Amino acid sequence: MSSSRLFRFPKPAWLNSANTRTAGVYAAGALFSLGFYILIDVASWSKSAMNPSDPEVHVTFVDWIPGICSALGMLVINSIDKSRLSADSFSYSGNGVAWKAKLVLFLGFALLAGGLAGSAVVLVMKYVVKDYRWPTIWMGVGNVVANGLVMLSSAVLWVAQNMEDEYTYNLAL
Amino acid sequence: MAGIKTIIGLSFVLAIGFLLVILSAALFHEYLTLLVVATYVIAPLPNYICGRAANPDDFMESSGSGVVDFGRFLTGFFVVMGIALPVLLYHASTIQGGAAAMSIVGGLLIYGTIISFTMFFQEDQEF
Repeated sequence: MSSSRLFRFPKPAWLNSANTRTAGVYAAGALFSLGFYILIDVASWSKSAMNPSDPEVHVTFVDWIPGICSALGMLVINSIDKSRLSADSFSYSGNGVAWKAKLVLFLGFALLAGGLAGSAVVLVMKYVVKDYRWPTIWMGVGNVVANGLVMLSSAVLWVAQNMEDEYTYNLAL
Repeated sequence: MAGIKTIIGLSFVLAIGFLLVILSAALFHEYLTLLVVATYVIAPLPNYICGRAANPDDFMESSGSGVVDFGRFLTGFFVVMGIALPVLLYHASTIQGGAAAMSIVGGLLIYGTIISFTMFFQEDQEF
């Protein structure tokens, strides 16, 4: 296994330990929670006494759509069994399981990227173009940060779950 | 074997944690910070339930670990929620800065106690 390596630097050994994997899953949950509560913070701050905007600007349903898309995308991506992605070469899989898995996975990534892009669109179209200043523009910036955190959490969870496969493989050898 | 001293110390820390959180609610007449206690009490539950639902020693069956991972994900979610909730309330000027700081520190003490107790009990089970 080590002789068929591609890069000069070997993968550090701690990357394959079960503890790192566990920590990765916890970190993914923490990141998702941070993103989720930034969204809630934006919404509650918008209706609180701290919102100084005068014509009043509030969070509407438009601000929620990117977050909903990101969360759905994360759900879709992480409900796919990763071993099905290369399943077509095995005999136990039926017709085109890998193809279906890749299609669903593509939909998930599209939702996730669409959520991040959508939050940027909301920031620009609703807040930047209309020339709002800092305390008000937090409603747009927080939205982008929250969606970025959900994306980061999804990436961490993906890496952690792939780590598990390598770990299992090493044990099987 | 650290027996009775550990238990006394942990209960002392737990009491201080509860004192801080209840004080942060009662002192400022805004009882939303009590949610922190609820958050930290239910934080270890998903881990426990999902650990029972799947067998983590089963290496050949890779589908079982998904449930365990979900439990860990939820636990991480709740732990950050305990910190994020007071900050959120402070940012929306529902509670004051002092109340937010007190409830965060108190919540972390409570959660630390719960985690330490779990570790001691697990050691008891193994041997």
